[in-house]
Amino acid sequence: MEKIKMADLHTQYLRIKPEIDDAIQQVLTSTAFIQGPEVNAFAQALGTYVDVNHVITCGNGTDALQIAMMALELQPGDEVILPVHTYVATAEVIALLGLVPVFIDVFADSFNLDVTQLESKITPKTKAIVPVHLYGQCADMEPLLAIANRHKLYVIEDTAQALGAEYTFSNGTRKKAGTMGIIGTTSFFPSKNLGCFGDGGAIFTNDTVLAEKLKMTANHGQRIKYHHDIIGINSRLDTLQAAILQVKLKYLDDYARRRNDAAAYYDLALAGIAGVKIPHRSGNSTHVFHQYTLTVERRDDLKKELEAAGIPTMIYYPVPLHFQKAYARKSFGEGSFPVTESLSKTVISIPIHTEMKPEQLAFISETIKTFYTT
Amino acid sequence: MEVLFNDLKKLHQSIPELNEVIQRTVSDFNFIRGKQVTQFEESFKAVLGVNHCVTTGNGTDALFIALRSLGINPGDEVITPAFSWISSSETISLCGAKPVFADVDSQTYTLDPDRIEEKITDRTKAIVAVHLYGQAAHLEILKKICDKHHLFLIEDCAQGHLTLEYGKYAGTVGEIGAFSFYPTKNLGAYGDAGCIVTNSDTLAEKARRFANHGALLKDDHLVEGMNSRMDTLQAAVLLAKLPHLKRWNEMRNLNAQLYDQLLDGIAEIILPLQRPDASHTFHLYVIRAQQRDELKRWLANYGIQTLVHYPQALPDLPAYHYLGHDKGAFPVAGMLAKEVLSLPVHPLLHLDAIQYVADRIRGFYKK
Ligand SMILES: Cc1ncc(COP(=O)(O)O)c(C=O)c1O
Ligand SMILES: Cc1ncc(COP(=O)(O)O)c(C=O)c1O
Repeated sequence: MEKIKMADLHTQYLRIKPEIDDAIQQVLTSTAFIQGPEVNAFAQALGTYVDVNHVITCGNGTDALQIAMMALELQPGDEVILPVHTYVATAEVIALLGLVPVFIDVFADSFNLDVTQLESKITPKTKAIVPVHLYGQCADMEPLLAIANRHKLYVIEDTAQALGAEYTFSNGTRKKAGTMGIIGTTSFFPSKNLGCFGDGGAIFTNDTVLAEKLKMTANHGQRIKYHHDIIGINSRLDTLQAAILQVKLKYLDDYARRRNDAAAYYDLALAGIAGVKIPHRSGNSTHVFHQYTLTVERRDDLKKELEAAGIPTMIYYPVPLHFQKAYARKSFGEGSFPVTESLSKTVISIPIHTEMKPEQLAFISETIKTFYTT
Repeated sequence: MEVLFNDLKKLHQSIPELNEVIQRTVSDFNFIRGKQVTQFEESFKAVLGVNHCVTTGNGTDALFIALRSLGINPGDEVITPAFSWISSSETISLCGAKPVFADVDSQTYTLDPDRIEEKITDRTKAIVAVHLYGQAAHLEILKKICDKHHLFLIEDCAQGHLTLEYGKYAGTVGEIGAFSFYPTKNLGAYGDAGCIVTNSDTLAEKARRFANHGALLKDDHLVEGMNSRMDTLQAAVLLAKLPHLKRWNEMRNLNAQLYDQLLDGIAEIILPLQRPDASHTFHLYVIRAQQRDELKRWLANYGIQTLVHYPQALPDLPAYHYLGHDKGAFPVAGMLAKEVLSLPVHPLLHLDAIQYVADRIRGFYKK
């Protein structure tokens, strides 16, 4: 059996190597390395894919969040609500801009922001909510948007892990992750579902005025060259990366299908094992399985056992944000966010990617089953 | 004849191994913090003779990371030239601090040391010196001022790769030097890239942490930070180009000398001054010209690309209106904005092209 990896980007590349190599060669020939035509072409194609009016590309998914908050003119002291069970980038950007992160716990089954607690966190200083579509599945957007509307709060969807996931509203309307709030952000970090060959990111919006502002903010506050109207940053998607992404975007749905096939296998093989909870499927959202995350008993022992069997795993995330040293000064006690604290001790993400082999899936499932049944 | 401002195609073709380097890096498939990143950091710091190099996503991020690593915070003031690319002031604002503009020297176009002390208050924390166009700022004097007033000195080296003052490389005199490897810089990547250099272990660690979400190791987020990395692919390109940098700088200097000779004696223009105690990378060869805009159009009609670095003094930009400066408060910067014109000076420029540009300039003022 082939060595099992958390992500097998190399094999994925080899399947489309001629196309990718061509795209790279084209950029090397044109030498339009910054804002070359591929950047705009990719932005257009991605806009069509997620069905949004404006796509602004940028340097990475963290910058995307920063640009979003700058363009919305959030001011130091403003409060921004975010789930406490997430990657550090979301909280860090809030802090970087002098805003105040207000953490909220997540649902134990979907791992996404607990909307039932949302209103209790809203104060007169609250300006925005940042739902994170964790592991590849949309947060409860319909109730979240209703609350946001009622309190006139911006919704910035962190779509770094869920590009392509689709949410169905109760009236039957379907929307892609990142296009439901005022702004959506995403990352093209290599191991993301749509990954480039370096850092990359993008921002979505349907608001034309805001789109202009986002574009300016990502480009030193310029509308026209050398006309700096506002304070901005430098955050661009390299032409080389855009060219690669343009090729890969065509395969994104196929990638999601392959990930879902692997997930379906795991679901079947692992359901019903005492001590193991398979990931919950939300009724309102498709899942693009950026991660396949189990909630298990004896997590650390399982991790060791799998490692010994040559099966890599990851813990997303082992230290809840409120216990990170960077936030220690805000002194959250044990039990502040019980679900997240429990998840940090019980979640384990097992290999899932576009190149999983049946025998690998079988071996991983079997090894887990054996661990809990013997 | 068509004279391009930059010729990246020709530059790419002049290093045949670059295609292979890129193909090999793609095959390695280690796109984030691959070994080429560390190798570039090692090589670049060896060239400069400095203890640490920390790569970043671009030169603007490098400046921001430098400021944040030095602890520049809301309420602080940082002195920065009134004439530069906006990164050297916008990154100060991003820290929540106040950019305090100082006018530049009318001969070297870098910070005028005589205009600094009048700007220092008890909130002043640092000075950002820009090695504009490739000529070292008055580093030694600035360093003395900084030492006297307990200020940090940050060097913006985006245009000054390997430029020297009194035998010291730009970027190694202040606490931190910030570099850009934007594709058209003297050392340019094939996308955005940058780095900071420093001799301080503490600052290097702070910068490395800050640029990586506040963590040195996975999940060890000691402080809040950001995401600013040099792609492995860009590091590989820079590694392949670095050995050529000195030679390219020399070629730019030869081009500049030729311009100096050919443009000598035209009363309507002022040629760039080269300080005897400093070197110049001629990232840009910038003349000051009467009827600058007409000259620019005239040259364009002859197929000659020129650029204006920069058409406005920074304090005059709408982004800084909130500081409430009067127009004319920075007379040298204001004058430069009206007069400067950058002529093509890239390393692979043909001598005939330089002759052609010079002839057309002469022709413009004789007409
Ligand atoms: C939820 C989430 N938000 C933001 C990011 C940041 O993206 P990037 O690494 O491109 O800065 C990531 C990924 O790393 C992420 O998983
Ligand atoms: C003087 C100066 N500072 C900073 C920068 C910023 O570099 P970058 O474009 O890599 O962000 C540049 C170049 O664009 C520059 O010329």
